[in-house]
Amino acid sequence: MSLAKKNNNVSGWLDMSQSVSGVILALFLWTHLVLVSSILLGADAMTFVARTMELSFLSADGHGYPWVVSGIAIIVALLALIHVLVAVHKMPLNLQQQRALRQQMSVIHHDDTKLWVWQAMTGVGIFLLLPVHLWLIGSAPETIGPVGSADRIWNQGVWMVYLPLLLCVELHAAIGIYRVAIKWGARRAIDARARIKKIKTIVSVVFVLIGLASLLAFLPYAS
Amino acid sequence: MSQGRTLTFNIFRYDPQVPDDKPKMVKYHLEEAPGMTVFIALNMLREQQDPSLQFDFVCRAGICGSCAMVINGYPTLACRTLTSKYPKGEITLMPLPGFELIGDLSVNTGKFMRELAERLKLWLHPKSDEVDIHRIEAPMAPEEAARLYELERCVECGVCVSACATKQMRDTFVGAVGMMKIARFELDSRDARSVEDFYHVIGNQDGVFGCMTLLGCQDNCPKDLPHMQQIAYLRRKMATALV
Repeated sequence: MSLAKKNNNVSGWLDMSQSVSGVILALFLWTHLVLVSSILLGADAMTFVARTMELSFLSADGHGYPWVVSGIAIIVALLALIHVLVAVHKMPLNLQQQRALRQQMSVIHHDDTKLWVWQAMTGVGIFLLLPVHLWLIGSAPETIGPVGSADRIWNQGVWMVYLPLLLCVELHAAIGIYRVAIKWGARRAIDARARIKKIKTIVSVVFVLIGLASLLAFLPYAS
Repeated sequence: MSQGRTLTFNIFRYDPQVPDDKPKMVKYHLEEAPGMTVFIALNMLREQQDPSLQFDFVCRAGICGSCAMVINGYPTLACRTLTSKYPKGEITLMPLPGFELIGDLSVNTGKFMRELAERLKLWLHPKSDEVDIHRIEAPMAPEEAARLYELERCVECGVCVSACATKQMRDTFVGAVGMMKIARFELDSRDARSVEDFYHVIGNQDGVFGCMTLLGCQDNCPKDLPHMQQIAYLRRKMATALV
């Protein structure tokens, strides 16, 4: 195989792995948020979800295996790392590229380019905040529950990480899924894009609201 | 349309050939006429107010692609843009970014397109090397001809190149025009090149795998070419060749 062909293959795999890792992470994110939002149904609901995620139904004493959550955190961290390493290829990294982007955007108005800038900026935000979240959860999985999580979020001040992370991640994921959809599976009908874009906005807003409501719902348990 | 109102044009002026000239925006006023396009207005400005104003045109009918420029933040063809589209009567004109500036609103898209064509080999590579002008050409199915014609409508105006932030950031990126033309030859049954050959040219970060799907090309193409669908098609095709 020639060197050029090999390089081309790497480019193809990189582009595909960015899309695939992004889709998996987005699906995980939304599932995760739905599970966390069980706090909205009360302490018992959340305790049930937290214990079930630790596979309590498989252990005799019913306590489950908190290390399962640590394992999930490690898998998410690895996926996110792959996603970052690939996505960084597309970012304007040097001054010349940043100037070219700024110059182009100052002359030409284009909504989807602005959307991508938001995606890139929220991506940087996630890159900074996600490791904190994964470390806090992965290193103390047994504390996940109404009281433990409330203590972490409100008494230890971790809401300062979770709030910006929530906003960044919900924008980033929805824009990302919109982009993947039109990138690989663009339909003939142009209105399909408008529809997907609308769904993207709704998904972002709904999940941000669920996230905010969940954060607030932990407040009564932080005594 | 509002007749007889006075239009205000803010036009980018800079001539790289004139020593010490600095880029600036210059204001012009012109009375609007019925059915006036930006292209007509520019000609009137040049005839009546400033003969040094530089801009390109050939066909006046959206066929040659010469008069592409950025009009109020949107890259498009001046000859197909009615001044009545702007209710405030204020029109800002900038040259297409990403091309060599000849002067004012005139950019060298021709040089870019030629280099691109040579780099991507954007011409038909016949299946047989034997040229026999006496032989009747093999017939083409009307459906295939229609598909090719759809992509042949590109007028090489450069709008997609200017509207693409990826292209602006990465000089070697082929842009929508390059991919559109590759897609055109990939669809052509007379072309001898295989998927692997096309993959070699655009199956990389300068081609489909470098495109970030920002869709500036799709949203601004004055000929409404299906860039989004074509690039997605090529990407799927190239990705299939991978596995």
